[in-house]
Amino acid sequence: MKGSCLNLSGTQVKRSGRTILDIDNLRISSGEFIGIIGANGAGKTTLLKLCCGLIKPSRGTIEFDNTDLAAMSIWSKSNLRKRIGYIPQATEYNSELPFTLREVVAMGRTSVKPLLSRLNRDDYEHIDYWIDKLGLTSRRNQTFRTLSGGEQQKALLARAMSQTPAVLMLDEPCSNLDFNWKYQITDIIDELYQSATGGHITVLMVSHETGLLPANCNRIILLREGRILADDVPEKVLKSDAIEEAYQCRIETVEIDGRKYTISKRYSNS
Amino acid sequence: MDSFFYLVIFAGAVAGASTGLLGVYIVGMRMPFIGTCISHAAMAGTIFAVVAHLNPSAGAIAASVITSISLAAIRPEKSRLDTNVGLAILFSLMLGLTFLGMGLVRGSRSEVLSLLWGSILFVQTKTAVTITIMTLILVVFTIVFNKEMKVLLFSRSIAAATGVHESFVYCLFLALCGVILAVNLKLIGGLMIFSLITNPAAAAYQICRGHKSAVFTATLFGMLSAVIGFMVSYYLDLPSGACIVVVSTMFFGACALYRTARKRAD
Repeated sequence: MKGSCLNLSGTQVKRSGRTILDIDNLRISSGEFIGIIGANGAGKTTLLKLCCGLIKPSRGTIEFDNTDLAAMSIWSKSNLRKRIGYIPQATEYNSELPFTLREVVAMGRTSVKPLLSRLNRDDYEHIDYWIDKLGLTSRRNQTFRTLSGGEQQKALLARAMSQTPAVLMLDEPCSNLDFNWKYQITDIIDELYQSATGGHITVLMVSHETGLLPANCNRIILLREGRILADDVPEKVLKSDAIEEAYQCRIETVEIDGRKYTISKRYSNS
Repeated sequence: MDSFFYLVIFAGAVAGASTGLLGVYIVGMRMPFIGTCISHAAMAGTIFAVVAHLNPSAGAIAASVITSISLAAIRPEKSRLDTNVGLAILFSLMLGLTFLGMGLVRGSRSEVLSLLWGSILFVQTKTAVTITIMTLILVVFTIVFNKEMKVLLFSRSIAAATGVHESFVYCLFLALCGVILAVNLKLIGGLMIFSLITNPAAAAYQICRGHKSAVFTATLFGMLSAVIGFMVSYYLDLPSGACIVVVSTMFFGACALYRTARKRAD
């Protein structure tokens, strides 16, 4: 049996007196690929930020590798987070600064290096390995701001992977990309998951579109108004009544090349 | 030129370099207003130190550091308050305290008013030495915490989520900001410090490729703005502060034009 990676129990997040996330029990095992879906405002990003400790729960506990995050000092929490590769939404990073692509990827190594130390030759070999692996070799010295949206997303993935993370948390990694780039990025995520050392990387991916969840995604958490409406294998969640309830429309699922696409149709007014 | 002016040029160059370097991080984190906010905190600190018969410089540094560190309470994930809105609120509080303090000061207010405009022409060796030491500390900080500061510039969310000791490094940076701005205030004044933080860094961001290049360019632009501005004011008999501000703005204008021309050529 795989070990527990994340464990949420009786966890609530409140904002201005309103409960925006209410999770009775959620256990995520090491090596799982989890898709988090739900309508706007369902609490997907909040759940992801809660898991990486960016926001504190108003109630309940979050355990990372069987360690209660609330009981840890800020310093120990930071050390634990070194194992999290996090890609936020585009609004949360400053893409206008003149960082080169290599500098951005190198930021992944910063997480694993102690304070007062410098990146050494081994670190840069690791950084260059991920730049090459993601096909960004020719862009290495180009500034991040001059890359296309897809290339920027690839660079952020290379940054996260250069950290050698145990958990990869991706918040809408394909938003604002065209069809081709969306599939390229999800194919890369799928490949990274498959080829991760010993298959022990855990992936949590927030996505609006179910078709973007790779074929290896083996579990979907469907959220509605901060609560888990369904939590099962994709085949069951995407064909359940819960998904129609979550999105408030009729939904049909078709499978093409292992990916499960949902087609939505508005309920008729009559 | 009188030999005294060499000290003025040296002090101006060091102050310009330190604010230019600081600006790379302040502008990169999109909070250029911090210069104005902290300079007013320093003024409030000076006034209340004068009222309480304490050392005015110590009062300025204490108020600046407290104000700058309080910014760390505004967390991008947890607060609905934008850093700049937080700065504006702190600024208004400091402005209020400054005027309140002025009402309480008996006798001469020249020490307080000199902080508004600065007094580069009346620089003392002691002030020049203090600024130089603080600039060296800033340089050491940027070298030692270079990799962490880069992540903070790029995204505080990523820094926090991935285990960079973001809060610690950010608080250290803010404290250093407070001290550097407070010691520079005597020389270049609260009104000019804003320009020397913003313009050289914004100019460097227009034309540079890579963080290291931006750091060197902004530091150089800050230094040159102070030196060229002072030389122009000396030979044309114009106000030195105004000349320094105009030169730093011209650096930005030239870089913006260069970037536009380069884009068109591509």
